[in-house]
Amino acid sequence: MEKFLLRNIENPNSTDINEYIKAGGYKALLKAVEMKPADIVSEVRKSGLRGRGGAGFPTGMKWAFASADPKKPRYMLCNADEGEPGTFKDRPILEKNPHLLIEGMIISGYALEAEYGYIYIRGEYPAAKDILDAAIKQAHEKGYLGDNVSGKGVRFHLYVHQGAGAYICGEETALIESLEGKRGQPRIKPPFPVNEGFLSKPTIINNVETLANIPYIIEIGADAYAEIGSPDCPGPKLYSVSGHVKRPGVYELPMGITLREIIYDHCGGIRGDKKLKAVIPGGISTPILPADAIDCPMDFVNMPKHGSMLGSGAVMVFDETVDLVKVCYRAIKFFEHESCGKCTPCREGVGWMRAILERISGGSGTAEDIDLLIEVSNNITGKTFCPLGDGAAMVVQNFVKNFRSEFEEKIH
Amino acid sequence: MITVTINRKKIELEKPVTILKAAGMAGIEIPTLCNHEMLEAYGGCRLCLVEIEKMPRLQTSCTQYVTDGMVVWTETERVVEARKAMLEFLLINHALDCPYCDKAGECDLQDMVAKYGPTTGRFAEGKRRHPESFEDPIIVRNMERCISCTRCVRMCSKVQGAYAISMVNRSNKTFVEPFSGGKYDCEYCGNCLTVCPVGAIMSRMHRHAYRPWLIEKEVDTVCSFCGVGCSMVLQVRGNSIVRAVPKKGAGSNKGLLCNRGRFGYDYVGSSGRLDSPMIKRDGKFQRASWSEAFTFIADRLKKIKDENGGSSIAGIASGRCTNEDGYVFQKFMRAVLGSNNIDSVASFGYAQAQRFFEGIFGQGVTANSMRGIPNSDGVFVVGGDPTAVNPVLGLQIRAASGKGVPVVAAGYMPGLMIFATSRLIPRPFTETALLSALVTELRDIKGISGKGPFDILINDIPSVSLGEAEEVCGIPSEDMRSAVDALSRMTNPSIVIGRDILQQPEGQACLLLLAALISLLNSRIYLLSELPNEQGLVDMGCLPDMLPGGRHLSVESFRRRYEEFFGVDIPSNPGMGIMEMIEAAHDKRIKALHVMGEDLVYNMPDSAYVKAALSKLDFLVVHDIFMTETAQLADVVIPSLSWAEKEGSYTNLERKMQLVRKAVEGKGMEEWRAVSEISKLLGFDMDYKSSVDIMTEIANVSPLHKDIAYADMAGGECMWPYKGEPLRHGMSLEGIEMPDKGSLLKKPEKDRIYIGIDKPLFHFENLSRNSAALSSIAPEPYMNVGKALADSLSLAGGDSVSVSTGTGSLKLSVQVDPDVPENSIMVPDNFGDKGAYTIMKWKMNSAIKAPVADATGVTIKKIKRAAEEVAV
Amino acid sequence: MLSENAVKEIGLIRNKYHDAQSSLLPALYVVQKEHGWLSPEALKEVGEILNVPKAEVKGVSTFYAMFRHRPIGRHLIQLCTNVACMIMGSESLLNILKERYGLEPNGTTGDGRFSLVVMECIGACGTAPAMLVDTDFHDNLTEERIVNILEKYK
Ligand SMILES: Cc1cc2nc3c(=O)[nH]c(=O)nc-3n(C[C@H](O)[C@H](O)[C@H](O)COP(=O)(O)O)c2cc1C
Ligand code: SF4
Ligand code: SF4
Ligand code: SF4
Ligand code: SF4
Ligand code: FES
Ligand code: FES
Repeated sequence: MEKFLLRNIENPNSTDINEYIKAGGYKALLKAVEMKPADIVSEVRKSGLRGRGGAGFPTGMKWAFASADPKKPRYMLCNADEGEPGTFKDRPILEKNPHLLIEGMIISGYALEAEYGYIYIRGEYPAAKDILDAAIKQAHEKGYLGDNVSGKGVRFHLYVHQGAGAYICGEETALIESLEGKRGQPRIKPPFPVNEGFLSKPTIINNVETLANIPYIIEIGADAYAEIGSPDCPGPKLYSVSGHVKRPGVYELPMGITLREIIYDHCGGIRGDKKLKAVIPGGISTPILPADAIDCPMDFVNMPKHGSMLGSGAVMVFDETVDLVKVCYRAIKFFEHESCGKCTPCREGVGWMRAILERISGGSGTAEDIDLLIEVSNNITGKTFCPLGDGAAMVVQNFVKNFRSEFEEKIH
Repeated sequence: MITVTINRKKIELEKPVTILKAAGMAGIEIPTLCNHEMLEAYGGCRLCLVEIEKMPRLQTSCTQYVTDGMVVWTETERVVEARKAMLEFLLINHALDCPYCDKAGECDLQDMVAKYGPTTGRFAEGKRRHPESFEDPIIVRNMERCISCTRCVRMCSKVQGAYAISMVNRSNKTFVEPFSGGKYDCEYCGNCLTVCPVGAIMSRMHRHAYRPWLIEKEVDTVCSFCGVGCSMVLQVRGNSIVRAVPKKGAGSNKGLLCNRGRFGYDYVGSSGRLDSPMIKRDGKFQRASWSEAFTFIADRLKKIKDENGGSSIAGIASGRCTNEDGYVFQKFMRAVLGSNNIDSVASFGYAQAQRFFEGIFGQGVTANSMRGIPNSDGVFVVGGDPTAVNPVLGLQIRAASGKGVPVVAAGYMPGLMIFATSRLIPRPFTETALLSALVTELRDIKGISGKGPFDILINDIPSVSLGEAEEVCGIPSEDMRSAVDALSRMTNPSIVIGRDILQQPEGQACLLLLAALISLLNSRIYLLSELPNEQGLVDMGCLPDMLPGGRHLSVESFRRRYEEFFGVDIPSNPGMGIMEMIEAAHDKRIKALHVMGEDLVYNMPDSAYVKAALSKLDFLVVHDIFMTETAQLADVVIPSLSWAEKEGSYTNLERKMQLVRKAVEGKGMEEWRAVSEISKLLGFDMDYKSSVDIMTEIANVSPLHKDIAYADMAGGECMWPYKGEPLRHGMSLEGIEMPDKGSLLKKPEKDRIYIGIDKPLFHFENLSRNSAALSSIAPEPYMNVGKALADSLSLAGGDSVSVSTGTGSLKLSVQVDPDVPENSIMVPDNFGDKGAYTIMKWKMNSAIKAPVADATGVTIKKIKRAAEEVAV
Repeated sequence: MLSENAVKEIGLIRNKYHDAQSSLLPALYVVQKEHGWLSPEALKEVGEILNVPKAEVKGVSTFYAMFRHRPIGRHLIQLCTNVACMIMGSESLLNILKERYGLEPNGTTGDGRFSLVVMECIGACGTAPAMLVDTDFHDNLTEERIVNILEKYK
């Protein structure tokens, strides 16, 4: 497939605006500013683009909600928090193709009549922050940013805002709190960000990859775009593959490609030709799948039918040598560390699960511990304030469901 | 109309509310921990989960709004299991040391665990350790009990506006901390204690003395520390108050208190309380019986009256006393002693401002509820820091600011600085320049609508440009310009006025300019009131020219009414004001002074002068609860009852009459009772059996208080004129002098350092020195100084300095506060012989009959550096 | 005390937002870059500059794992131990750091050269195990490679 999101990134000077323009960059912007904002919104709607941040929410619908709220100013935020373990798909865009994101944001800002944009980038990506800052400066100099974008009287100012080590700030309302200089804890919804977001103004939040798709939609048109990938979930998708494959890395492939194709056709299969044991298909929060369940189409619509979720498209591959109880323990330790502490079940319950897993993993678990673990996880499920806590419970439930014997083996 | 069904009960609602509220209306209780009626919803504890038909997930009822046709279940098996699970989670990191915990018995968590189980958690690993923190004098912090509901933090930041504490860290390592990690250094309102559902933050004042089941009596009363008059409950065990708490939803405070109200009550049980009448013989006090003391007083007063006439006797009342005390006292002065020489410190500004505005607008008293401040479209504050003088009223201004209402703060008011949209801090005593510039601008923008006499007067006010004003008051023109912009957009703002605005050489001009602003902006007036019954002093006629019911002595028909009622003539000439009395005592024009509960030496300017004047009297009677500096000078001292030991009423600054109730027994006597006894001995029968009799008399004679009874006050919303005749005075601009431009633009003296009175949040007059709690928060006198002056004197925070005037000198510790006006220092007057009044000279402003600061300078010498002090 | 430069930089950051508190995180970064950590005095000062109450500043800064509230060594090793790195050998790297430098998580070497914190995923799972030293990424770590890399940080 022809690459779009990762186009040009092999070029050692890919971050330079002139190289980007040479490869066809900022053409979509010039086309977009000739369109009416509302037409861009409907074009995006027609394209069928779904948000790449994990939930797969239809982007056009979100944009339409925001356009309907008359409050001004509006803010356009880019979620570059990429904190889901296993996920590193936004990083190549941020580090190698920053102008694609910037172009996407300017078009989005124009379409949504938002004059200010912020890229909320995780603190763990210091290099990417500097690259973005430099790229923004260049875009300003070229007149793509500022008070008169491309000489069309459009205003768009773009800034980079660095997070500081909090996974929860990837959740959109926690991100807004964090951007406001507060503790990054999720807000009560409603009101939704599209109505009352950053500084209580209408705010549109999209993932890096989502925004990077916008110039493509403008460039080739919604109809052509909708032809790519799965019918209900079109477009190119970045899959970040890690673990025991021969060629880990970020792959731009059409939506709906199967896990098996990703692992065996694109990543060369399992390292050392060992046996595959399990795969986490969409970042650590998504349900783990056993080796025989990898013939599933990787998109937002189909994955739930196969017992997991697309999430961030972060494929983590485990070969036969892996101690999955330990993996589960480590995953829950992550959630404990990252719980924002707002709600009881997540703050207290996830730590409890971690304690039980620590026991089991360390060999001092008892026969009742597995059931207790499941019971605690059930007591969390459906009762948390935001999806983080639920996700942690789901991780445990699926590890035990699919690999119960491994847990039992640890108990003497 | 919205119809919801909760547990089969149908509820009809006008507008959407949360499920929790709707359930509450239907009498269905849903357990909550993080929710609190004074706070916005949070949705964290997840205790209030309920089942809603057609929704797969359980929902938190504190955040979910009802929709039409919604069907809710609050006690299904699923809900009960979830609740149990949440409680089990909470117990993971909760100490469960109920037997040692002061909260046991009124702990929400304990109650819920008892009701919904589990009895023991199954969490096997160790709980988090977090030793109890005793680093603060007032608040003990036990984070092993904290359940991270954040109620305290939301209270402190969103309601109190103190931002003193925060949740620190995240996940299960979260806990609550003040910035220092130890000492709170906060406003000590204790409102966080009110909202903490568990025993994680508690008052040290009653540590281990307080257990809910040990409380023998709870008495509904009002606070005695300022004119807001917050509703509170005194909890009593034996004969002592163990705790003062706000009453949920009651009074103007609606569940809030400030530090004084919450912690200051302990003066009542202080060992320094007077317990017997004392008569001074040969310069020494001797204990005496009640009748001995009363006879002694009556004999002496009679002699002086017979020899020199009633006008040689004067009386000073106190705003700490009740309406009943005040009424009886003025009756005693007028009817028994035949003297109109009665006044109080209310005449230092509060009464004057009221009277001045009355003359112009027909009404000068605060005629609006302070709860309305956040609903006005702007606030202008001048003459004192409301958050210190009337703390809970101050919170209304902070709340307004929180809602985005513009707040223009004119003057030094540290408690409002982060809330004010315009901060205008003039140089010392240049408020006239600032105010006249504002009037000039607003007069141009708003225009004078009517042709009334006051409109004409407003037109006559000399024009002062922003530039001219800047030159004098030092506030940049652009700051004043933006304040003018903000003010001009307001359509019915609240103007909050403190007494400091009068206490300066051009006090009267300030009042006139304020009246012009009030008129131009169509504003509601709020007068700050430092004393719990300051309005009561005015209403009860404890003024040299006013009779009870807010009517002038000079109104013939009114005076007659009282004369008939009392059965004696009342002198028709106004008596002396408080400052005149002191001067007259000095000149021996008055011979006897009867003081009802006021420490004149320290609560009036120029302590040495007051002391000398009092020493010259032939006879001084003092009723008080402590042997104050003033009582020391008396010939007879009558022990009084504190506010917690007697029945009666206070009138707050909103004109709300509220009951003061007896919680504990005292050894003194109500002022009204003692005065009636003396009166009887002087041949005037005052036969009051209880305070009820007095209120009945007031309700009979004062048109303003017509038919008011205690039962009305118990309802909590008894503003005069409850059933009586409203108070509207004929307007009169008589006596108002139009200031000339020169006097409006008087520059402060170069090289002079001025001294101003700081009104600290933590103290009340000189009484609060007897509160161990308040003294532990603010133990020593200090001087606030701005950055520039501190630098030029090379002073740093914590240094010791000596501050002198021609009158005396004080040793103070330095606090640097960038907002202190240029070339001035602010010193509190609450530390007795270490208070500002001891070194300040004041003079009488005859136009407003109030004392104004004699703007003399001070000299400041550094004694010690902060570091050296530590080393010593 | 913040340097004049830091105060100036915070002033510039302030202009990027319509509200002062929004510049809190970037302002804290400025200070941390200058001092290595966020002392109570620094938190207070930042609060004063931005008009954010100091307790609030503390509440915010302690929420975020990458703000440090204790002094650290000259170089900060942030080693990922999350799942991808774990299965690719980050545990043995921790052992090496302990053996070779006596470094424990949240510890600092006696000579003040290195401090170590273990990280959640740093977005380098495809080239795991990975770490950040100060602001430099290093990945595909082995026991040998990590020592060679660290030797470049003096
Ligand atoms: C705990 C949690 C973490 C999240 N982390 C991220 C993230 O790192 N990056 C991201 O783009 N979206 C993340 N999301 C999803 C966002 O909340 C939001 O849905 C997304 O940014 C919307 O953008 P999109 O519509 O373009 O996907 C997270 C959600 C949750 C609940
Ligand atoms: S589930 Fe609750 S505690 Fe966990 S991150 Fe979300 S809001 Fe915070
Ligand atoms: S006592 Fe008042 S000011 Fe102090 S922490 Fe509690 S709520 Fe805040
Ligand atoms: S101290 Fe009390 S009010 Fe504050 S968070 Fe803890 S439990 Fe809640
Ligand atoms: S505001 Fe006034 S009345 Fe209320 S508690 Fe404080 S001092 Fe008492
Ligand atoms: S009371 Fe509703 S979540 Fe706490
Ligand atoms: S798990 Fe270590 S970089 Fe992702």
